Order: sequence, then C-alpha cells, then structure tokens
Amino acid sequence: MSWILPEGASLDFEGLAAPLQIIRGLGGGTQGQVYEVELEGERLALKWYLPACIARDGGLERRLIASIRATAPNEDFLWPIALLRASPASRPLIRIRQESFGYLMPLRPPAYVGACEHAAGRLAIGLRQVLRACFGLADAFHALHLAGLCYKDVSLGNLFLEPGSGGILICDNDNVAVDGADHGAVLGTPGFMAPEVLLGQTRPGADSDLFSLAVLLFRLLTRHDPLKGQMELAIRCLDEPARRRLCGEDPVFIFDPVDDRNRPDPIEHAAALITWPIYPRPLQALFEQTFCRGMKQPSRRALTGQWKQELARTLDRRALCPACGQENFQASGAPALCWSCGAPLPEPMKLMLPHGSVLAAPDNELHPHHFDALAGEDLRRPLARVVAHPQDPRRLGLRNLSASAWSAETHDGRSQPVQPGESCSLAALARIQSPAGPIAVQRPTRPSPAT
Amino acid sequence: MPFPDVKLANRPLHFLYLCDCSGSMAASGKMQALNQAIRQSLPGMAAVARDNPEARVLVRAVRFADHAAWHIETPTPVDQLEWRDLQAGGITAMGEALKLVAAALQTPPMEVRALPPVLVLISDGQPTDDFAAGLEALLRVPWAQKAVRLAIALGHDADLEVLQRFIGTEPATAGRSPRRPLQASNATSLAQYIQWASTAVVGAASMPASRVSETPLEPAAGNIPLPDLPPTVLDPTDDVGPLVW
Ligand SMILES: Nc1ncnc2c1ncn2[C@@H]1O[C@H](COP(=O)(O)OP(=O)(O)O)[C@@H](O)[C@H]1O
Ligand SMILES: [Mg+2]
Repeated sequence: MSWILPEGASLDFEGLAAPLQIIRGLGGGTQGQVYEVELEGERLALKWYLPACIARDGGLERRLIASIRATAPNEDFLWPIALLRASPASRPLIRIRQESFGYLMPLRPPAYVGACEHAAGRLAIGLRQVLRACFGLADAFHALHLAGLCYKDVSLGNLFLEPGSGGILICDNDNVAVDGADHGAVLGTPGFMAPEVLLGQTRPGADSDLFSLAVLLFRLLTRHDPLKGQMELAIRCLDEPARRRLCGEDPVFIFDPVDDRNRPDPIEHAAALITWPIYPRPLQALFEQTFCRGMKQPSRRALTGQWKQELARTLDRRALCPACGQENFQASGAPALCWSCGAPLPEPMKLMLPHGSVLAAPDNELHPHHFDALAGEDLRRPLARVVAHPQDPRRLGLRNLSASAWSAETHDGRSQPVQPGESCSLAALARIQSPAGPIAVQRPTRPSPAT
Repeated sequence: MPFPDVKLANRPLHFLYLCDCSGSMAASGKMQALNQAIRQSLPGMAAVARDNPEARVLVRAVRFADHAAWHIETPTPVDQLEWRDLQAGGITAMGEALKLVAAALQTPPMEVRALPPVLVLISDGQPTDDFAAGLEALLRVPWAQKAVRLAIALGHDADLEVLQRFIGTEPATAGRSPRRPLQASNATSLAQYIQWASTAVVGAASMPASRVSETPLEPAAGNIPLPDLPPTVLDPTDDVGPLVW
C-alpha cells in the first residue's frame, strides 16, 4: 500500500492544539485510507480522503461538519470527532499534490472484527451473539432514524462484530445526512441497495436504509443473500447488468410465501435452507414484510422499532436442546423439535414478567423493558441473568445484576433476600419480588419427554 | 453453541496475467521489476480475497516470448500462490498467448457459473506474430467478452494501439474518459498498477463496492465499473529520480 500520510511522523493540523502522530496505516478503501494515530496520548483513527473522492462528492465536508456538531446517535457508531486539514507547515509532508482532508474517529478495539469474517464462516460465534449483534444494529439505526438522519450505505463492509458478546461497531459514517435533505454522492452498495435506488428512481434515505438493514440482518442470521436463489443460478456471469436484474428489475425473496420462482437450491444455497427454520415465525414475518410487499413499496418495510422488538423477543425465547445443547428459539405453547438434532424439546421453565416472559436458559437476561412498558428494548443494562449451577448445570439459578436486593419466595411461603451479585436457585421458587417488579417462576405443565 | 457450520455460496473469479517475456524485457531491469511487482502484490491480493467471501479468487499466468506457454497453469488460490521468476529472451508471440487464454476460457474447462474474469496483459513492445488472429479467437469466447481486460504498457516502446485493441474501445461516457492502457514508465508506477489490478479491480469484480451517483449504474461495456486509479503518491525515497524505461 502506498500511504498518503507518512507513517511514524508527527503532523500539525489546523484546529488541533497538539501535533498528531501517524502510528501506522490500517487499510485503504475506495474513498480513502485509514490510519491509527495518537493525539495527546490517546489512540484514534484518522480517515484521509483521496482527492478523487473529494472532487466527486461536493457535500462531503459540509456533511462531516454537521455530523461532528450533532454527535453520535449512540455509542455503536465510530462517529467523526473532528475534521482535519494539514497546517501550512505540515502540508509538504502529505504525499499528494492535490488539496485533501480527513476526519478523526474512535479507533476500533482489536476484539472487533469485520462482519465479513462471520459471513465467510471464519468466526467462532454463537446464535445468541449473532442475534444480539442484529439487535445492536436495529437499535443503532433506530437511534439514527429517530434523530432524523439516514445512513445510506449499509453493508457488510461497514460493520464490525465482537464475537464474544455480539457487540457491534458501525464505521464509514461520512454519508450520514438529514433524511431527504442532502443529496450526497453515495447511492449504496449493490446487493444491499433498495431496488428503487438501484434503478435510479430515488435517492437513498431512511426508507432505503430499512431495506438495506433487512438485507444485512438476513445475511448475519442466515449467512446467505435474500435474493440469491434459483434466479441467481440461472445467471452464468454475475456482472453488473446481471446484479441489476437480480436486485433491481425483478427482485424476488428466496422465501417469498407466494412467488416461488427464486427458491434456494438445496446444494448451492444450503446455508439459507438450514438457518432460516431456526428463527421464530414473527421474526421471519418481518423479512417477508420487507422483501415481499416492501420490495416495491418502501413505506411498507419493517421499521427499526419492529426489528428491535422481535429480535429482543427471539432472545427471550432461547432454550438449549437437552440432547445436543444447541440453541433453539421456541414458539410459545407448541411442542417442538430441535432444529439441529431433531430431539423433542421439553416445555421449558419460564420467567413471567410484567411485560413478556423469558425462558429459563443459561445466559438469558431480564432487562428493564421486561418490567416497564414505557422503556424501549435495550440489552445494555440487564437486571438479572439465568445461570447454570457450577456443579450441576441442569440446576438453574437467577443472578441479581441490579443494584438492590430481591426477596425470593418459595412455594411454602418462606422468603429470603438475594443481594446484588448473588444467585438464587429457581427450583424451589414461586416468585421473586424485585424493585423493578415481580418475577414469577412458571414450571412446565406437561411432563418433559423421557430422555 | 456455535452458529451452524454453513458456508456462504461463492463463485470462482479467474485472474490471469499475460506477461511479455521477450528479450527487450531484459533491458533496464524490466523483467525483474515485473517479477517484484507481482510478488509484492500477492499479500494485498490475498487480503482482498479474504474480505470477499462471495468470490473464490484463482490465479493463472501465461508467459510469451518465442512461444506462449503457461507459467502457472492450474487456477491457484492466491494464498497458495508462489511466484517463480519469469525469464526474458526471444520475440513477442502475443497472439499465441491470446489463443492459449481463449482455450482456457472455454466452458469446459471454465465453470458454468462464475464472476467476470480479470485479464491483465503486460507488454513492452510489439507482437511479432498474428495478434489480430489471437484477439479474434479470444473475443469469440463469451467469458473473454465478459472479462475485465486491462493492459499495462511498459516504457515508451510498447504498442499502445495493440493494447488498446485488447482492452476494447469503449466510448467516453458522461464524466468518464475512455479507458486507455496504463502506462508504466518506471518500476514504482508498474508496482502501483499491478497492485491496483490485483486488489481494487479484483474487489470490484468479486463483490460490489459502494456506488456514487457519478458511477454509471449500467456501464456501457457492460461488465464491472472500474475503481479509481490510485492517486499519484509522491515517493519520498525517489530522491535520485526513478529509472525511466
Ligand atoms: N475507526 C476505525 N478503526 C480501525 N480501522 C478502521 C476504522 N475505520 C475503518 N477502518 C479500516 O480501514 C479500512 C478502510 O476503511 P473504509 O473507511 O471502509 O474505506 P472505504 O470506505 O474507503 O472503502 C478498512 O479495512 C477498515 O476496516
Ligand atoms: Mg467502506
């Protein structure tokens, strides 16, 4: 890579009181190069634009200034911090003749990896973490859209994942603009672009973000593309005109309940056929809404709030197969079979909450939105977590992650306190009184199948 | 529990170098510069291949001098590729090289489904055989018509007209100048062009990149919109001035 900024050098920028040290180049893309830099002892990232990109996108500087002033919608965005132009003294150290600029943003921590690692199947990650990452995405776009902004270039390339927790970070925030106001240069990334944008009928905005968001969620959940089925197999050379037909002119969802022209191929598209049935009906329905009716009618696409709600509910329904240990997401009531090994799933113990219920499976969490109808779904501050007994994993407990004590009531009416950080065994309990609200323990009504 | 062990569907992306190994390549270290440029470009190419799981990037190379022959005959994944040095000596059988590539792009051996192949022709002189017949044979093959064809001219003796015919004459579209052979006048610019072809172009052919409104959504030539050429980065080590071919 030919770096535009000199690695190792200290440069002065207009508006920065201290010099900025260029530690090393991190990568280059179509728009510019990204560097790890140090400013007054703090590590940050600096994106430096290629002159061709600046020339093509007249509104770039104006958008960046507006974003920097507005601050990030939430902490999951690697949001621009400051716009930088070299001082006259440092100008000769920049190795291109044309005038250019860049912006500072937080540096991605090393535990976060590009989402394409998951798409390629090279990441050790569980279903719970993938669903949490999906929730994080929906939550981030919810905050962005509520602020009146749109992102315009949702794609796998602009997302980072932390496989241990399912945490996310969104980069490339330089196309963000007030929805409908600014005609920036970017149209999106083919494969993620809404059909109406790909066909040049409209400019990207919040409605097309909803389409691209659904594509990204689908790709994370299934490791497959929502439009690649039989119709893709019929294409010999997958070039631009072919992508335009597949994703713009005649786009058909591979699981469209009515139009079956683009069903996945059992061999070529096995990923989609294996993963899609894992997810509960209401979550599948949001994809159908976006990719069937919403394909041609942008206003019918599932909204960020709907995704948040359904993804959070899916996590609440997580249960482990007693035979193989794989994660399942059980529909309420109906008896089910494990998607992975086919074993019957016993009816699980449930934690009944003022707003919803959570199956008792290790790592499932209770959140403020389970107790407060006015609290939006948020997974950042759990109040309680289901834990397995260290000696006997079949014995489940509930750990108090809140700051105040609970009172746990047994069937025979006795009660005992559960201090913050302590766990109580669920087996003997009827209910727990917590300051957030009551937690009732509901045992299976039908006997679990013999295993 | 781990996410189900399912693999993303992917398509092969064939990348072919066509390298001029005629006697003139021995002059002024051009042959060494080309060997170096390709070898240095491989880690970056492997990184792009890793980042594009929808593509299976496979590399081959043809050398041509008195005759054309495979330098790397088996389509090889980039991360397994070892670049053996090409040797210069002989005349310029460019037409024969095109015929060799034409045969390789027939289906079979080509897969039924693939991404557009990328062909990179590098030459410092004029063909000494029947170039026109070779080009005609190549362009009869559908995969060659669909291919992204690039040409790099080494030094001032390269036959730009022949290279232009290889990449095709595309009319200038609004805001875009017509495509021309890339002219490398020294080792630094050769390395930059090889790097661009093996990273940015491979990326564009395997997975679409962000589009901006100036990129024509339906390119006239009808395969892949080419990424911007790398900016001319002023080389701080070039104090003595690069060796100009
Ligand atoms: N804040 C950041 N911290 C660390 N690496 C980053 C950061 N932002 C981008 N990168 C990396 O820099 C490279 C280029 O980034 P990107 O901005 O996406 O380029 P482009 O949009 O021009 O294609 C990528 O490899 C990306 O992972
Ligand atoms: Mg990017």
